[in-house]
Amino acid sequence: MSQLDILLVLLRVAVGAFVPLCFIAVLVWLERRGAAFFQDRAGPNRANIFGFRAAGLVQNAADGIKLIFKEDVIPGHSAHKFYFVLAPLIVFFCALVSFAVVPFADTLVLEGKQYIMQGIPMDLGILWFLAITGFAVYGIILAGWSSHNKYGVLGALRASAQVISYEIPMGLALVSLLVVYGTINLNEIVHFQGKLLFGFIPMWGVVLQPLAAVIFIVSAFAETNRTPFDLAEGESELVAGFHVEYSAMKFALFFMGEYVAMFVSSSIIITLFFGGYQIPWLSTETLVAYAKPVSMLLMGLVPVAAALFCGWMMKNNKSHYDRPNDPRVREAKVYRIIIWMMVVVVEAVLVGYLLYAAGGAADRILVVLLQIVTFLVKTFMMCFVYVWVRWTLPRFRYDQLQLLGWKMLLPLALLNIFITSAVVVALS
Amino acid sequence: MTKKNIRKGALDIMFAEWLFFGLAGLSVLGAIGLILFRHPMNGAMSFVVTLISLAGLYALLSAKLLFAVQLIVYAGAIMSLIIFIIMFLNIQEHDLPDEEGKGLFLLGGAVVITPIALFLYKIVKSLPGSDTKIIGNGFGDVREVGLILFKNWLLPFEIVSILLLVALVGAVVLAGKKGVGK
Amino acid sequence: MSVTVKIMERKGSSFLEKIYLFEIFKGMRVTLGHLWRNLCDNSRLYVRHYPEVKPEITPRWRGRHRLTTHEDGTVKCVACFMCQTNCPAKCIMIEAGERMDGKSEKVPVRFDIDLLECIYCGYCVEACPMDAIRMDTGIFSVTSYDRESVFVGIDELLATKGAFDEEEYKKGGA
Repeated sequence: MSQLDILLVLLRVAVGAFVPLCFIAVLVWLERRGAAFFQDRAGPNRANIFGFRAAGLVQNAADGIKLIFKEDVIPGHSAHKFYFVLAPLIVFFCALVSFAVVPFADTLVLEGKQYIMQGIPMDLGILWFLAITGFAVYGIILAGWSSHNKYGVLGALRASAQVISYEIPMGLALVSLLVVYGTINLNEIVHFQGKLLFGFIPMWGVVLQPLAAVIFIVSAFAETNRTPFDLAEGESELVAGFHVEYSAMKFALFFMGEYVAMFVSSSIIITLFFGGYQIPWLSTETLVAYAKPVSMLLMGLVPVAAALFCGWMMKNNKSHYDRPNDPRVREAKVYRIIIWMMVVVVEAVLVGYLLYAAGGAADRILVVLLQIVTFLVKTFMMCFVYVWVRWTLPRFRYDQLQLLGWKMLLPLALLNIFITSAVVVALS
Repeated sequence: MTKKNIRKGALDIMFAEWLFFGLAGLSVLGAIGLILFRHPMNGAMSFVVTLISLAGLYALLSAKLLFAVQLIVYAGAIMSLIIFIIMFLNIQEHDLPDEEGKGLFLLGGAVVITPIALFLYKIVKSLPGSDTKIIGNGFGDVREVGLILFKNWLLPFEIVSILLLVALVGAVVLAGKKGVGK
Repeated sequence: MSVTVKIMERKGSSFLEKIYLFEIFKGMRVTLGHLWRNLCDNSRLYVRHYPEVKPEITPRWRGRHRLTTHEDGTVKCVACFMCQTNCPAKCIMIEAGERMDGKSEKVPVRFDIDLLECIYCGYCVEACPMDAIRMDTGIFSVTSYDRESVFVGIDELLATKGAFDEEEYKKGGA
């Protein structure tokens, strides 16, 4: 193990484990502020540290501290306390581990060695994701059952029946997808999507397999127990579903597990259907070959983006009532300084790259960084779709949910397999 | 340099062996738990432990597809259905049957099994010195297993799938309510 | 009298609507429009920035109670127990004493309102023959860290002034 190996292992672990964890905060923030703006409200905008609110992100810190210091109740009527404690751990751990096989950048070649850019270097790909998400059901069932509460049991029943039945259309949609890609390795799948169809459309999964994309995305929504399929926690009827009896950090683990699951399924959707870390029309080879023009383009774009963002922020980050010496304007000014300092640092790094390191290994590292950013942006957008759908659609009724799963998605997925196989056989 | 490599290789083998012993022990413990626990949920959960450690053993033998299938089908789908049913039945302590003479049964079972175990032990001991090597590249991979399954074993595979279909239809017929809507 | 029957057109039966997907996209377009509008200019949010910007209270609003006084500052209440008898929440507790200044026979020695019990129905105001109790203080937020401070006595009830002038109150309320 050279130093480079250790560094890259650290990078992999950092992106593989800490990015989902960081995204919890981002997603909770996105959910709250997004929900508020969808409904013409303001959302949490008061919690601050020395007047800095970070657009409401500080509220998450406050909630986290609250959850850590709350009393951790294990109900006395529960006969199986071991399972009660185990359940949130299973849910959170499964959600986190299933991200391990998602590639967040193309394989990095440094000094003749290949470094696969995913949490665990393993070529099980999508099978690993299917295996691990199947385990999350245990957490839900055990939580509902061991809390010995009628709401809990009903919520767990709904959640697990839903997850089990939507795994089938999901798997079948995947089958037709794998027929097209001819591999289960997610990195190879992303490579496949880097090609162009008819020379100008990126061969993304959503273009080649629109039906499978719809089925998979709908099933992924159901798998993560998100609206419109969130009847497992339908608060009007079940209070909170399987986690009624949980408090403090055990509840927080369920909560975080839900958001990590949302992040992971977004990243899987991105990887399977929207080109993964690929920048459209720019495959890895193109990027490496034209690293210099790309970085010059970046040098031009970064200040423009920063200026636009600053303008928007200065316009909106102020109090909408009479307030002498508005602290929010002061806050925005500080943010503006920070943003421009970041821009200067990025420009300096790019200039340094262009002057001293262009060509060779630095090109590849630049490309990997670009692809990580692309991957994160795409995943964030998919997470936004999750939030968007949640605040648009009402909840399904339970029989409607099962009807949709078994009578619409399952036959459609089977049909899709037949059509896809026929086309693939005819073309080959 | 070479010495270091050899030592590292030995360490790897040691690690694999320790993993094997750990997983094997876990799977046996899970199986024992399945038999001995009184509450069905405990039994089912210990069986899950057995299935997962078996999947780990497959992974040690570099049978990747089998590892994934074991996790998806057995540990993921079948056991979660069984646990789902156990939750559905909501079995309390007083619902469980009395297990009188449990010790007697265990003793009798042990007496019956001991000769078989000795026999098995002898067989295992008489196996030729194991010199395991990975057969070819991509052994146990999805592609290889699929090719073998759909080239050499196509007929048995299809027969098994028809058998499963028959079982499925039979279950639907048995479970379907008679006389509804008439 | 004939009943008019209006037959509503039932939606959701065409093929496109049964697929759901397009209708879902339509709904998502609507919500995205709201998000975009608010994101571009958050001064257009339909919210009141509450603790800083207070809502406007009309004279008809039933806020916290107060006891009114005569012109010379003496208490109007004659301890007739009408309000206490009428109170559905049983939150008023009056203790009567003899009145020495000749305005009436009785005067409240104690007049306690438990605001935690009060349901702000306003029956006490309507029952009062002397117009001695009113709910026109405009105080709508009764919060405190302990129970004792929301158990208000006669001194506090007398000390609070009404938030509206007499004419406005008469026009709006009684």
